[in-house]
Amino acid sequence: MSHLHVPDGLLPLWLWGPGLLLVLGMLALASRSATPQRVAYQGALGALMLAANALPLGPLEYHLTLSGPIGILLGPAGAFQAAFAVSVILALLGHGGFTVVGLNTLVLGAGAAVARPVYTALVAIVRPRTAMAWGTASGQAVAGGLWLLVMAATARFAPSHPGAAGLGHHTESPAAHFEVLAAFAFPLWLVGTAVEAMVAWGIGRFLERVHPALLPGGDPSVVHAEVA
Amino acid sequence: MINPLAQMDYYASSGGTPWHRASALGKLLLAAGTIGLAVSAPTWVLLGAVHAMAWGLVLTSRLPGRLVVAAAGYPLLFSALFIVSRWDGTLITPLTLALRPLTASLIAAWLVGTTPYPDIFAPLSRGLPRHVADSLFLTYRALFALLARAERLLRALRLRGGWSGPPRRRLAHAGEGFGTLVVHGFERSQRLYATMRLRGHSGRICGCRHYAEASAADVWVAVAALSLAGLAVLLWRVP
Repeated sequence: MSHLHVPDGLLPLWLWGPGLLLVLGMLALASRSATPQRVAYQGALGALMLAANALPLGPLEYHLTLSGPIGILLGPAGAFQAAFAVSVILALLGHGGFTVVGLNTLVLGAGAAVARPVYTALVAIVRPRTAMAWGTASGQAVAGGLWLLVMAATARFAPSHPGAAGLGHHTESPAAHFEVLAAFAFPLWLVGTAVEAMVAWGIGRFLERVHPALLPGGDPSVVHAEVA
Repeated sequence: MINPLAQMDYYASSGGTPWHRASALGKLLLAAGTIGLAVSAPTWVLLGAVHAMAWGLVLTSRLPGRLVVAAAGYPLLFSALFIVSRWDGTLITPLTLALRPLTASLIAAWLVGTTPYPDIFAPLSRGLPRHVADSLFLTYRALFALLARAERLLRALRLRGGWSGPPRRRLAHAGEGFGTLVVHGFERSQRLYATMRLRGHSGRICGCRHYAEASAADVWVAVAALSLAGLAVLLWRVP
């Protein structure tokens, strides 16, 4: 529940237009501190996010996003850029529309951006694997909340007839329509948060043992030497 | 999901239709115009006409039918949820909610199936911050190798019993598998950067410039664009 599967034509212009502009502005800010070497690492982890998106884990095409672990490993700025690249490529696959790229990046990027500070706060008192699980769960919770907000807006304002999209008109649906979405989405959100947190725990455990320098709480001198 | 993309990628480079020979910039503009018109069509006759035109583009690009269905049909699964949630007893609402995303995904399939990815990303990257554009190229480049590795890893996990037991253990094992991919991705990025520097990387991955080079095949793109504009003018007010 941290990736919008909303196709083109379901959201009004006043919702996706500002989302796209906001993301472009945030990307301009986020890319200031990047170095070419860092961008190569972002590309690799962005591809990992895409690979996770491509491997279905169960019914209803459920898949991981790994936005939490990637956010922890790259930091908010890097993860935001990776989230944008992932959203654009997913749109080319018809997996979320082109017009929703901005909102998708915001939802994915928000989950990633929240995960890192939570991890940093927790890693002083618990092991990195546990901090990574809680950081991911927090990011998923925030991303899921945003997801639900966008879905609520979609259910309420989605243009239901030609001409309503992009022209500022909208038709209001009964609350029951949103309840259909919420009833479907809420349990998935809870399960998704638990699944992502457990997978993040596994990633944290592996990196802790094999390559702790890649973790934000790892040996910073090694990371600087390798990734600076 | 990625497998259709890999095949589309192959057809984009190996296809021989006029769409494949036309410039990426022209096709991107046509795709943007078609999607824009599909999501803002004021009458559903116009929406139907734009949808028919999207089919025309796809069918003339000679992409395999199963690929088009796989790539373009994906959004229908999710549109179904919205169709159910917005059911008002009429036929027009579900038809509209289905046709708009389907038109957009058909156009996406046509664009990706007729244009190699460096040519799609090159014009996009002109409007993006430098490092973001580079990240787009590098993410796509790393995707297929990483995906093949991820699939092998999950297969090995299943064969060795790592996918048995309670869900918590299975997910932790999957997480450790992804951990190996993080380390692999990190090492790969280091090698890639070293290679880029050796080859004279100037600090920007520059997409090839021929994305804007017009050819005789661009006449077909212009004809399609004019047809689209004609449809918009003629059917804008037809109920």
